[in-house]
Amino acid sequence: MDNLKIQNLHMNFSGVKALDDVSFKVQKGEVFSLIGPNGSGKSTLFNCINGFCIPQQGSIKFENVDLLKIKPHETVKHGISRTFQNLQNVPYMTLLDNVLLGAHRRLSMTDTFNRWISQKEREREEAMALEVLDFLGIANFEKKYLSGQPYGIQKLVEIARALICKPKMILMDEPAAGMNDQETLEIAKIISEIRDILGITVLVVEHDMNLVMSISDRICVLDSGKILAMGKPVEVKNHPEVIKVFLGDEAHA
Amino acid sequence: MKGRYDDENLKWIPILIIAVYLSPFLLKSATFSYKYYLYILNMAGIYMILTVGLDLLSGFTGLMSLGHAAFLAIGAYTSAILVDQAGLPFELSLIITPVIVGLCGLMIGFPALRIEGMYLGLTTMGFGFIVKRLIIAFRDWTGGSAGLQVSKATLFGFTISNDWNNYFMIYTFAIIAIIVARRIVKSKLGRVFMAIRDSEQAAQASGINIAKYKMLSFFISGMFAGFAGVLFAHTNHFISTDHFDILLSVYFIVMVLVGGVGSIYGAVLGTLFIVLMENMFIPLFKDTLTQYMHLEAGDFQAFIFGLIMLLFIIFQPMGLYGMWLKMRIYWKLFPFNPRKRFT
Amino acid sequence: MKRTVSIIIITALIWMGCENRTTSPGVTDTEILVGNIQDLSGPIKELGLLIPAGTNMYLDYINAQGGVHGRQVKMVVEDHGYNPMKAVVAAKKLIEKDQVFCLYNVIGTSPAEAIRPILEESGVPLIAPATNSSSMSDMSRQAAKYIFHTDAGYDLQTRVLIDYILENNPEAKIGIAYQDDDYGANALKGCAEAEANHGISVQKESFQRGATDFVGQTMNFMKGGCTDVIIGGVVREPVTIMKTAQAIGYSAAFYGLGPTVDPRVGLLAGEAGEGFIAVYWAYYPDSDEPGPVLYQELCEKNNVPAKMRGLYHYYGFATAHVLVEGLRKAGKYPTRKRMMKGLETLHNWESGVFPPMTYNRNDHAGVESVIILQLQGGKQVAITDWRN
Repeated sequence: MDNLKIQNLHMNFSGVKALDDVSFKVQKGEVFSLIGPNGSGKSTLFNCINGFCIPQQGSIKFENVDLLKIKPHETVKHGISRTFQNLQNVPYMTLLDNVLLGAHRRLSMTDTFNRWISQKEREREEAMALEVLDFLGIANFEKKYLSGQPYGIQKLVEIARALICKPKMILMDEPAAGMNDQETLEIAKIISEIRDILGITVLVVEHDMNLVMSISDRICVLDSGKILAMGKPVEVKNHPEVIKVFLGDEAHA
Repeated sequence: MKGRYDDENLKWIPILIIAVYLSPFLLKSATFSYKYYLYILNMAGIYMILTVGLDLLSGFTGLMSLGHAAFLAIGAYTSAILVDQAGLPFELSLIITPVIVGLCGLMIGFPALRIEGMYLGLTTMGFGFIVKRLIIAFRDWTGGSAGLQVSKATLFGFTISNDWNNYFMIYTFAIIAIIVARRIVKSKLGRVFMAIRDSEQAAQASGINIAKYKMLSFFISGMFAGFAGVLFAHTNHFISTDHFDILLSVYFIVMVLVGGVGSIYGAVLGTLFIVLMENMFIPLFKDTLTQYMHLEAGDFQAFIFGLIMLLFIIFQPMGLYGMWLKMRIYWKLFPFNPRKRFT
Repeated sequence: MKRTVSIIIITALIWMGCENRTTSPGVTDTEILVGNIQDLSGPIKELGLLIPAGTNMYLDYINAQGGVHGRQVKMVVEDHGYNPMKAVVAAKKLIEKDQVFCLYNVIGTSPAEAIRPILEESGVPLIAPATNSSSMSDMSRQAAKYIFHTDAGYDLQTRVLIDYILENNPEAKIGIAYQDDDYGANALKGCAEAEANHGISVQKESFQRGATDFVGQTMNFMKGGCTDVIIGGVVREPVTIMKTAQAIGYSAAFYGLGPTVDPRVGLLAGEAGEGFIAVYWAYYPDSDEPGPVLYQELCEKNNVPAKMRGLYHYYGFATAHVLVEGLRKAGKYPTRKRMMKGLETLHNWESGVFPPMTYNRNDHAGVESVIILQLQGGKQVAITDWRN
């Protein structure tokens, strides 16, 4: 069953083609990876899905909702949440608060002025945030301020914030960037758990080939805004064009 | 049942509140000229309400405002007109005026959706000038540049007539304002404001309508300023455009900066610090220092404030409240390398 | 019976005697403390230097003669930077902390207005507020009975000037440049009175306090065909306007209100200022009245530099007369109430610096007539008698 449907997407940044006739479909409950060299349009594609950029042509549909017609902050309402390439956190809040930021839509305004009325609601969300943190294995840090925490934890907090929105699909922009091998393994485990246990569709942009190959159900290779290849990891790995673009002369060596 | 992350030093708050209410009695027994000190404390109390609101806007939401003196002016004049000319009771004005000023804040919030930082500062500053001209222009209601006499506050039948009564009224409201601000900061709204300050993308990805909450921040900040304005008008009994010049807005920013941007207690501490500094400590050594430095009285004050601000920005960017937190952590961890524990 | 009566009488006398000996705060056996709030850091800070200097010159003179009833008069000066808020703080400090006997010479209309509630609350009199605004002597306002105003109001000054202009030239077209604040508002009040009296209309052009460019206003007067222009400024405004007029070839007669009577106008304006007519409400520093003569004498004696002498230095000197007279009238054991009562007994009082002055219960206005001076060869010369 199709979850996300992208058709004939064209995006120009003052003459530079960032996306050129991109179309693909993402099925429900799969890990779909976007790979490609720098500047091939991966992040732009994410931004288009998220509503930060508006493409000149084409359509993006998510469960029959036209994503091009809604504002960035409304994407969460339709079940799409995302993490960012460079950290987008609030350093002077605790981990728990950072995660609760994602629960924004479910907390009512009375949270501010009437803690007695909204106590239940607040406790529910706090419990949920703790659950999510526990799921990611950082529950013990919940009262610490985010600033000064290791990079790995800050990355995980972003994922936690994306998860607490109860999304149907998560967009992850380079979840393993800047992480060491062990942390990358952990991320790989988390991503597959998100798919398997929570049943959430995951759309990943990533440079780490080992990670991509090990977790993805399907991979789409972008180059200069065009789709180069698409398919199962094994198919993509052996695709001649991909080898040329990615490995260049190394393949022949 | 307590929320999970209510402030851990909550138990100190009742003691602090009792101290606030006891201090005038202490002052009275300690010094003959207690009325003067009370007056200064009253001023600090009014400014506190405003700077707490300013901190919500500038410290938490990251929107700079150099127009808060104008908000204070609108609050003061609105209340004076409502109570003295329209005949509304003071209690009603306490509710209506902040809302009106909040709406003015909303108006100034529109440009904030498009511009940021220094440019927003300049825009709000321009707003301040416009308000001043408007007050002069509507001289039938505001008394123009000659100023306006304001009646005394009457709260539930009691006329608040002197500094002694003013103190209790102002500080009761100041405590309420601080508690409300703390609630805002510790709730969903506070998280949203901080997210807008630190990462608009994260905020949007979490489903936060940035435009709406920026405006809301201006509205809330305006409400605090309006509230302060009401108290200002009815405890000073005279307002004029000379009160609300641009320098006052700068002072508010300095208060927030010195106290520590982004903490409610910081704004409170900073306000107390600056007001007491200006009126009590600087005069103590002004005469001796001016002899050597050949500065005139006013220049001297500006010089000291500039110096304080510079020192704080360089050495103590977290302000007074940050200093206090550091000290607390220092003693908590005392024997073990306490340095650089706090970032 | 006789004994009881005499005991009662004696007790009463002793009691009354004791009562008479009580003094208000700020008075010791050797000293009387007076509070002054000046602008030492704001837009008119040069005045904050000159006025207290003039006052101190006169107080030193009085103190050298043995003071008032054997007490030396001392003055504390506080700063308000033309901010009413700071004026209130300063007044509180002077009254509550420094414990002054009375306030004197608070400069500026809005600062003086701002401290009305404090005067009311503490019962401290304010002698000679340094503002020509007639609102100070409006007896219907708050705390009016504590304020003893000396200066003739701007409204009176403006009205007399317009009267004078129309007297000499009934066909005159009059323009007025007014400061966009209480000063200007007060001048316009007098202007409106004159307009109603004479059935004329005056061309009004406003400028902001501290403005330095008056080309627009001067051009407008020229376009409006004004033959006589009244300038409600201090020193810079009349000088600049007259020079601008000379530069663009606009010849009109120029007039100024009280604050423009300063030798610097003549010095700075040069030949453009020749014939400048201003209105004043005290014996001007160059005249032969006893006050100005004493002033010149004291200036010589104390080596006051020439650039300090002039209207504002003299103003401090002149208003100090009222203060000292008030302290004298308060008697050997001064209280604030006695001082106020004493001042209210003054009837056509010849101080030497002001024309005869009268205070009573319903009139705290001080000088209520003005004289018209003309700048001739760099000197102020009286061209009319006292008028009102």
